[in-house]
Amino acid sequence: MDVDTGNMTPTNLVDKVVVPGDVVLDLTKMENQTIKLGSGLCQDCDYISVMQAGKLRLSKPNKYWVESSQKRYVPSSEDTVLGIVVEHRSDNFLVDIKAPNLAFLPVLAFEGGTRRNIPKFETGTLIYARVVKANGIMNPELSCTYASGKAAEFGQLKNGYTFETSTGLARMLLSSPTCPVLEALGKKISFETAVGLNGRVWVNASSPDDVILVSNAIMRSEFLSGTQQRIMAEKLLERLEKS
Amino acid sequence: MEDRTDGRNANQLRPLACSRNLLNRAHGSARWSQGNTIVLAAVYGPKAGTKKGENPEKASFEVIWKPKTGQIGKQEREYEMILKRTLQSICLVNVHPNTTTSVIVQVVGDDGSLLPCAINASCAALVDAGIPMKHLAVSISCGLMEEGSIILDLTKSEEEKLKAFAYLVFPNSPLSVIDKVHSSKEEPIEHGIITSVSYGAMPVSGYFDCLERGQAASAAISEFLRRSLQKQSSEDASRVAQ
Repeated sequence: MDVDTGNMTPTNLVDKVVVPGDVVLDLTKMENQTIKLGSGLCQDCDYISVMQAGKLRLSKPNKYWVESSQKRYVPSSEDTVLGIVVEHRSDNFLVDIKAPNLAFLPVLAFEGGTRRNIPKFETGTLIYARVVKANGIMNPELSCTYASGKAAEFGQLKNGYTFETSTGLARMLLSSPTCPVLEALGKKISFETAVGLNGRVWVNASSPDDVILVSNAIMRSEFLSGTQQRIMAEKLLERLEKS
Repeated sequence: MEDRTDGRNANQLRPLACSRNLLNRAHGSARWSQGNTIVLAAVYGPKAGTKKGENPEKASFEVIWKPKTGQIGKQEREYEMILKRTLQSICLVNVHPNTTTSVIVQVVGDDGSLLPCAINASCAALVDAGIPMKHLAVSISCGLMEEGSIILDLTKSEEEKLKAFAYLVFPNSPLSVIDKVHSSKEEPIEHGIITSVSYGAMPVSGYFDCLERGQAASAAISEFLRRSLQKQSSEDASRVAQ
C-alpha cells in the first residue's frame, strides 16, 4: 500500500499523478499562509484533497492545482472560448461552450453595441468570446469585448473548419513559446487558427487541402513530444508537396 | 482447502485489465476486465437539467445497464439502482448542481462477479470524464465455502455452487501527506465500506470474515487502478496486472 507516513512536506506530491481521495496538503501544518486552490482540489476541514485525477502542480509561492485533460469544459472567468449559438432570446444569445450549462451572451456585449445594431447570429454560428462570469450554479456569461470595451478578435468566425479536442490539447496549443506543431506547419502553409480553452479549434486557410492537413496535424499532436510533433508535421507537409 | 476450477488459490484474483478513453463520442469511457468478465462503461455529462424526481440542488446520476443478450428485466433494473446509489455516494454532488450525468454500462462478457466489474469500470470511466469525486471505489466479490473459508473473485460456476456470497465496494487507499492519526488496526473494518450486496444465507461471523478479506484485497485492486491512471499520458492505455 502506498501511504506516505512521516513525510510532512506538502511538495512531495507535486508533479506526481494524483487520484481522487488523495490528501495533498495538511493545513494544520501551514499556519498564517494564504493558499490559492485551482481546479481539481477541494477543502475538507483541515485537509486539501483531490477531486479529479491528474498531475498536481504548484506555482510558487502558493497556488496549487490539478492539471487534467477532459472532453468537457468547466467554465472559469477570463477564459477565451469558442461557442456555437443555439438560440436567440430577446436579451441574450444562448451559446453552447461544452460546459454543463448553456452560456449567455448578452446582445449588447459587442463593441459599439446598441439596441439598434444587434448582430444577427443564426443557430450554428461560431463565436469567439471571453467568459465573464462563471460559477458552478449559474449559467456562465460571455462577452465579445475585453473589459475595456475593445473587441479585438472577438466575434463571429466565418468559413474555415471547426473540430473538437480535449481541454489539455487546447492548452498546449495556446502555450508560449509557440506549440511545435503550429510552428512547423506555419513555416510552409499560411493558415489562421482560433483555439478555445473549452476544447474547440477553428482552422482557416486558402485551400481545403491546407485546412485538412492542419486540422489532422493538430489532432494527431496531442500525445507527442515537441520533436515528434515536428517530425509528424514535416511528413505531412512532404505529402502535400508531392501531390 | 479444495482447488478452484481454474487453479487459483483462495485469495488470488483473476488477471485485471483496464483501458480508458476508448470511445470517441463519450466524455469518459473505460473497459474493465477480470478474467472473462468484461464490462464497458461510458459516461456522458454533466448535462444541464435534472429529471423530475431529483433534487435540483445536487447533481444527479442516471445509469443504463445493457446486458449482453436478452431483454432488459428486473435484474438489470436492480443493477442500475445499486450502481446509481454507489456512484452517488462517491461523487461530489454539490459541485455542479442541476445537472445529470449518464453512465451507460454494456456487458461484454459475463463469467461471474459482474456487478463488481461494472462498478470498477464505471468508476474508471467517471475519472476519465473528470467528474469530481471524493475518492475512488474498488469492488470485489467474496464467497463463503461450506467449512467457513473465503474465496475471492468468483467465477460464474463458483457463484452457482456456493451457498452464499457477497459483492463488496470499498473506497480506495489514498496517498496522503499527513500521518495517519489512527492505525488501521484500531479502525473497525466496516469503516469506509460503500456498498454490500449479499446473496444467500451466511452466518454473521462469515460475513465479517468476507469484509475483512475483501478490504485486504481491495488494496491490491486500488493499487492497480492507481497505476493504470498514472499511465494516462499515453494514447493506448491498456495494462494487465495480477
